[in-house]
Amino acid sequence: MSSDFQYEEEEFDSQINGGTLLRILKVVRPHWRWVAGFLACITFVSGSEAFFTYLGKRIIDDGIVPGNQTAVLQTLELYGAIAILFSLAVFSFIFLAGVLGQRVRYDLRRQVFDHLQTLSFSYFDKTPIGWIMSRVNSDTERMADLVTWGMLDVTWAIMNISTALVFMATINWQLAGLVLLMIPVLVRVAIYFKARILTEYREVRKTNSKITASYNETITGVRVVKALRREEANLREFDDLASHMYRKSFRAAWLSALFLPVVQIISAVAIGSILWYGGYQATLGGMTIGGIQAFIAYITFMMWPVQDLARVYADMQQAVASAERYFSLMDTQAELVDRPGAVEPGTLRGEIEFENVGFHYLPEKPVLKNFNLKVKPGETIALVGPTGGGKSTTVNLICRFYEPKSGVIRINGRDYTEYTLEGIHSRIGVVLQTPHLFSGTIRENLRYGRLDATDAEIEEAAKLAGAHEFILSLDHGYEEQVGEGGVLLSTGQKQLISLARAILAKPDIFIMDEATSSVDTLTEALIQRGMETLMRNSTSFIIAHRLSTIRSADRILVIENGGISEMGSHAELMRQRGHYYNLYTKQFRDELASHLDPFAHNVVVQPSNGATSTGEHPVSNEARVVAEPFA
Amino acid sequence: MTVPEQAFQYDLRRSLSSRPLVGFWRIVHGFRKYYFSAVAALAVSALMQTASFLLVRELVDHILPNPEQHHLLPLIAAGFVGLAALQGAFSFLSGRFAARTAEGLALRVRHSMYNHIQRLSFTYHDKHQTGELISRSTSDVDAIRKFFSEQAIGIGRILILFTVNFTALLTMDASLALMSIIAVPLVAIMSQGFFKRISNAYERLQEQEAVLATRVQENLSGVRVVKAFARQDYEREKFDKQNFEQYRRGRRFLMMHSLFWPLTDVICFTQILFSYFYASSLVINGSLTLGSYLAYVSLLTMIINPIRNLGRLIVDMSTGLVSYNRVMEVIRVDLESLTDGSQHPQGDLRGDVVVKGLHFAYESNHEVLHDIHFTVKAGQSVALLGSTGSGKTSLVGLLPRFYEYKSGSITVDGMELKTISRGYMRQQIGIVEQEPFLFSRSIRENITYGVGREVSDEEVITAARAAAVHDVIQSFPEGYKTLVGERGVTLSGGQKQRVALARTLLKNPRILILDDATSSVDSETEDEIRQALLRLMPGRTTFIIAHRIQTVRHADLILVLDKGRIVQRGTHAELLAQDGIYRQVNDLQTRIDEEVEKEVNDVIGLPV
Repeated sequence: MSSDFQYEEEEFDSQINGGTLLRILKVVRPHWRWVAGFLACITFVSGSEAFFTYLGKRIIDDGIVPGNQTAVLQTLELYGAIAILFSLAVFSFIFLAGVLGQRVRYDLRRQVFDHLQTLSFSYFDKTPIGWIMSRVNSDTERMADLVTWGMLDVTWAIMNISTALVFMATINWQLAGLVLLMIPVLVRVAIYFKARILTEYREVRKTNSKITASYNETITGVRVVKALRREEANLREFDDLASHMYRKSFRAAWLSALFLPVVQIISAVAIGSILWYGGYQATLGGMTIGGIQAFIAYITFMMWPVQDLARVYADMQQAVASAERYFSLMDTQAELVDRPGAVEPGTLRGEIEFENVGFHYLPEKPVLKNFNLKVKPGETIALVGPTGGGKSTTVNLICRFYEPKSGVIRINGRDYTEYTLEGIHSRIGVVLQTPHLFSGTIRENLRYGRLDATDAEIEEAAKLAGAHEFILSLDHGYEEQVGEGGVLLSTGQKQLISLARAILAKPDIFIMDEATSSVDTLTEALIQRGMETLMRNSTSFIIAHRLSTIRSADRILVIENGGISEMGSHAELMRQRGHYYNLYTKQFRDELASHLDPFAHNVVVQPSNGATSTGEHPVSNEARVVAEPFA
Repeated sequence: MTVPEQAFQYDLRRSLSSRPLVGFWRIVHGFRKYYFSAVAALAVSALMQTASFLLVRELVDHILPNPEQHHLLPLIAAGFVGLAALQGAFSFLSGRFAARTAEGLALRVRHSMYNHIQRLSFTYHDKHQTGELISRSTSDVDAIRKFFSEQAIGIGRILILFTVNFTALLTMDASLALMSIIAVPLVAIMSQGFFKRISNAYERLQEQEAVLATRVQENLSGVRVVKAFARQDYEREKFDKQNFEQYRRGRRFLMMHSLFWPLTDVICFTQILFSYFYASSLVINGSLTLGSYLAYVSLLTMIINPIRNLGRLIVDMSTGLVSYNRVMEVIRVDLESLTDGSQHPQGDLRGDVVVKGLHFAYESNHEVLHDIHFTVKAGQSVALLGSTGSGKTSLVGLLPRFYEYKSGSITVDGMELKTISRGYMRQQIGIVEQEPFLFSRSIRENITYGVGREVSDEEVITAARAAAVHDVIQSFPEGYKTLVGERGVTLSGGQKQRVALARTLLKNPRILILDDATSSVDSETEDEIRQALLRLMPGRTTFIIAHRIQTVRHADLILVLDKGRIVQRGTHAELLAQDGIYRQVNDLQTRIDEEVEKEVNDVIGLPV
């Protein structure tokens, strides 16, 4: 195995700690009746199991030995009656514990999801989605299992051992004392095995995640593997890993296979002594034959929970580790919260002002420094400049996805941190570079912009965004499914829908990050028109990549190195012949180049619903009419 | 602990069968002795247990009633412990053999899966999703492992326990024995029927679990949109709906479960009560001894308890079979051989490539290359110019035999490409892609990846220098040991490309393919990369894929591709002299310059 091979590894060895357990119990508190119910049932089940053995003894001692058929019948009647109750109790405890588990999981998931909705952008920037997903999916599951089946296992074990001891003591207390002596030996053996088996299992899990990582890399990098003929070396590395896995799992398996017989032999020693000692007593009249049989049964009975000990303990340990991760997520505070006394802004259609704004994601890497800007209501601002210059940060600050580290942003003349977050977010329309849609129909996605919008309003917005025609051309129109993340639509189509969604929201401030990826000319024109609708009605900030957008802006900001290096109208900036001039002419060249490219006529046009349309005339007649004003 | 060699030396394809049970039987090849030892040890262990029941009978019937026999009590006790020890020892042996079988087979399947996956053709990988393949290689393999460690042994266990204990019952009293197993078929039938429903309910639960996971995933990946529209409450509601549905399905699943167990219990209790009654009357009649009754009670438990688990076992087995089929679907697909071919060239290629009348299609119905002809001499460079989808990448993908052409011919050094082994060709070809893939290993390991020999630090550094990436690597916290990816540094597109270049330099291939290698990096690094590429090209037959004239003008041969056909060919000078796409592309630059000037003048000339 290569020395510095990397993998994703979960934390497996958390000690069971009281604080976390207490917190888990708090989660269950609202359902305490269910807990009480299933614990009562399991107690009854465990108690009657012991009682059945006792009845078995009675059949022998009071029925068979004296030859009393009526006594046998009477005992069997009692047996049957308890058996019916027993079956009912089995039904109840499985049902109660199971449903309780479902409830707890439901609660945990709802709470964590609610909590996630309140967290700030900075959290999601730092935390991989996969990590959060495992908290929501698997950790909640393990916690729910702990408070149900885990609790059940523990209760059952305690009940099993103690009822068995009580019944043994009633039959013959000296022999019961003998059995009691056996318990510390068993505990020691169990702890010894538990530790060894757990160590192996932990190693097995670690290796397993390495194996998964190894599959993942080989599959995603299969091109390189083949091109560099790495197959044999890869297989050698993998075989090392898989052999390690073999050794560890084999060891874990045979250790478990050894544990069980060892426990059985210890109990056989106990049973042997009882046969011996009990045998003498039987003749002296101190012990009946049924009694001996019952002791054998009780000792076997006590062994069951001991055999399970290692598994239950390992599960509990894992569940507690899960709970710790879950609670760590729940304890994360949102970085941005409403200030005390925050007010509803009413409208954001006022002047927006940046005063000496500074911002950084990491303290050693400032992104914006002393940023100053005043924007008049209804103005359209185009932001241009190199990647990493601070354009996205500027719009993130306007949206208040982040807040300035220094300086002030004012809207309507008031520091915007005095407004509620909800008040700001609900008045901003954002269209992202890679538009995100949710699985569901197109209509549902559009309605995301304004939940109380009527169908007519939705279609109106789609018309304004230029999305109506293509939507109607789909098989199910507005009811067409977009797929997870909108995969069934092309980028251009997704952009049109997210524009329509923003139009429907009637935002006071409109923010758009223009896509750099090329869309066909028709879609491009439609997007342009949608943007114009929004720009007319809102104060707009566009991270612009297209010349037409840049030219039509009221003001252009060139953002570089955390500040505004040039600002003005298109003509003003061109006359300066500075950065903007260079950027613009380069962009102009690129656009011309792609426009005039003799190859361009057969570039693959956006796939739609899986079908790829190629060819010179991807434009349907109907759509062409719409495009005309821009032709 | 030694790893069983037979795990690696078995071609999993030999186990292919349309009937999964036959397949399972074949897979066990080489491990059968372990499997049968496990079953045999289990049988001995069961016999010892039954013997200990009979020992109790002996004790009760012959020793306890006769005080003069009491000196035998310690012997009986010792016998009991001895039998338990034997039972334990054999059950341990059985577990160990079973573990060896199951883990050994898991190792065998993992090994084969991994090897198979990396040797499957591109045609396969193009069509299959990573997640899907991974889940087959991990969860499905684990289900197969469980099949052998739990279910295959479990079935053996149930059968053995039944046979041994039932035989013991028969020797005691035939009619009693027969009366005692009335419940067995009932429980078996009921559990099978029930478990089908339970597994259906479980599947529905799992489906909803997936829906819920997707919901969370979407919310998280769309967090910008959620926040931008302040739709947190709406999202909560949507989540809650799915979450509640999950709860509902969970409750239904549990209902089935909680009905099943007590219903089986009722059947078993009825059997037990009936048996106790019948057996006790036999004792009271005097036709059965008291000791036999005691043994009978134990034997009865040993028959009924395992049967209760039969239903679950059958369902678990069926999931094992499903997983087996999913793994075998992958194994069934033909591999591309690395060593096929009749030609076995010694040493390196020269690099003469001749293509004649070549047609190629990924899928039989859609041809992407039509009638391609061209000749390249060793050490020359060929540029392929064309738009996306014109067939450039498809054409060069044929050289390392990533895909197979059906008609026409490609010869390399006069040998038909199809007759040269893939392994050899790939060793001779170096590819630099537009977006190179790096592994989450150290930078050094990425550079030496696939070299197939020990490489000294000096060599690595020389390669990195030549690829103009040494200084960048030095600036990382751990230099060449720095990890790439999530746990280490994130490299920019240009840096990745230069690492890939260093990798190719070390490999020192005779044929070089530069797949759009400079199109996605910014102009500063583009220059450095171009310089590095120029250093790489001399003496090698080079294929350059590009869509800009600057990149291709120095090539010895330029092929202009359009819709899978070569529409123009020649050197830069020759092509300029022709009327065609090439000249149009070239003239573009001049036209653009004119347009830019016009535009600038228009803007600047405008009154403010």
